[in-house]
Amino acid sequence: MSQHQDPKPTPNTSGDGWRVLSYLIGGIVVYGGIGFGLDRWLGTPFFLPVGIVLGAGLTIAMLHFRYGRS
Amino acid sequence: MIAGVSTEFIPPGPQSFDLPPIFSGVEWFTKPVLVAALSVVVILWFFWGASRKAAIVPSKLQFAGELGYNFVRNSIARDMIGSPEHMKYVPYLCGLFFFILLNNVAATIPLIQFPTFSHIGWPYVAAVMSWVIYNAVGIRKHGVWGYFKHQTMPAGVPGWLMPLMIPIEFISNILVRPVSLSLRLFANMFAGHILLLVFVLGGEYMLLHSGSLALGGVGIITLLMALAIAGLELFVQVIQAYIFVVLTAQYIGSAIAEEH
Repeated sequence: MSQHQDPKPTPNTSGDGWRVLSYLIGGIVVYGGIGFGLDRWLGTPFFLPVGIVLGAGLTIAMLHFRYGRS
Repeated sequence: MIAGVSTEFIPPGPQSFDLPPIFSGVEWFTKPVLVAALSVVVILWFFWGASRKAAIVPSKLQFAGELGYNFVRNSIARDMIGSPEHMKYVPYLCGLFFFILLNNVAATIPLIQFPTFSHIGWPYVAAVMSWVIYNAVGIRKHGVWGYFKHQTMPAGVPGWLMPLMIPIEFISNILVRPVSLSLRLFANMFAGHILLLVFVLGGEYMLLHSGSLALGGVGIITLLMALAIAGLELFVQVIQAYIFVVLTAQYIGSAIAEEH
């Protein structure tokens, strides 16, 4: 079997976009879910949208720290 | 043909995927099961034939087999996992890639024309298998607590943001990944198949059963569109098999990565 020993190729980044998607979903699910729970508990109408926006914002901040500075 | 609508058009829907068992009485043996079994036979034949008489000057079959194997090993496994460790995962990734690829492309092959992964159970099992593997190799490498920390503490985030980030990282790495992995494959196969059904059945109905010349013309255009969509779907089928395996490899790579 021929083991190709060519120099280290540039890293394949074709999956990064899909990982970013899963982060965005995760952020919105977590903080949107917390907001939803607070709304159900306290009877307020505004924690769900606040949570969704906060989650999306935090996710974007995290993506900036992770991918934006390389 | 008499004027007016002779028979009611029944649009395709989720019920189009409920296929009857091939032999009455054997409930579990449906078309997707048959297609999956056939794909396993074809893959075994292909790689067995390609590696049976391996030679320095390869036969055409050996060349094709090495091309496919090298693609998974170099472009997916090595690029995503990193050089010395990737060889351990090549058999799984290679098998997974060709299994998904054949079952997706089955939706384009005449007379078969059904994507196995449009039944949600198949992508669920494939995703759970990948999920178990990347978590298991991560736990084996870092220990339970170390792996947990590794998967929930994002790199490069300032300390004061950490408590807010940990839940996102946990949900995204442990829960969203397997779901998005399976739903992406399922939805693409399901939607592609139903899109083709709409165009082909609708075109056929307008052409043959509408009884109107104008609608018949639209039916011909619709059937031509269906051909173009079939081409697009072939592309989607290949891409989805690739994406599934690339992400599996990337998850394994990030689970065993040192720095994080």
